[in-house]
Amino acid sequence: MIVIIIAAALLIFSVFMFFSAVLGLYKFKYPINKMHATAVGDTLGLISAVIAIILLTGFSLTTLKLILIPVFAFLTSPVTTHLLAKTEVKFHGNKQGEYDEEEQ
Amino acid sequence: MQINVFSVILIILAALIIAALIKAVLGPRFTDRIVAVNCISTMVIVFILILSWYLKAEYLVDVAIIYALLGFTANLVLTRILLHKDQTPGKKKHRKGKGKEQEEENP
Repeated sequence: MIVIIIAAALLIFSVFMFFSAVLGLYKFKYPINKMHATAVGDTLGLISAVIAIILLTGFSLTTLKLILIPVFAFLTSPVTTHLLAKTEVKFHGNKQGEYDEEEQ
Repeated sequence: MQINVFSVILIILAALIIAALIKAVLGPRFTDRIVAVNCISTMVIVFILILSWYLKAEYLVDVAIIYALLGFTANLVLTRILLHKDQTPGKKKHRKGKGKEQEEENP
C-alpha cells in the first residue's frame, strides 16, 4: 500500500513537470526559450515516471527495459536540443528579437 | 468502471498532449513545431508506460522504447534536412527571398 502511494506521488510530480513544460510552451515566445522549458519534462518528468512504474511492477526482466528508456532519453536529448538550436540560429539568428508579420 | 488516481493521471496527460498538439499546429516557426512535437513524444512515452502497468501488458514497454527511438529519428531527419538544405543536389532556388541572403553568406 505504501509503495502504491509513493508511486502515485511520483506520477503526480511527473505530470506536474509535464504541465510546467506545456505551460512554458505556451508562455515563452521564442523557440530557444521553449527548449529550456520542455527539457524539464524530458529529464525530471520521464525519470520520476519510470521510477514510479518500476516501484509498481516490481523487479523483473522488464525493469531493465524500463531503465533503458531514461538512459536513451539522456543520451539523445542533448543531441536534439543542439541540432534544433543550430537550425534556429541558422534560419532566424539575426532576428531572434522579433517575429516578422509575414511569418505569423 | 472504477475511478482512481491513475486514470485521472492518464486523463490529465491526454489533455496535456492535446494542448501541445494545438501549439504544434499554431507555432509560427518550424522550430516551434519541432519543439512541441518533441514534448509530445516524451508525454506519449510516459502515457504508454503507465498504460503498461494499468492493463498488465508488459509488451507495451517495448512499444515505449520504439517510440523513443522514433521521436529521436524524426528530430534528426528534420533538422538534417533543414541544416544541409544547400548541399542537396538539384534544388537550388526552392527558398526565395529570405533564403538567398543565407546562401550568399555561407556558400
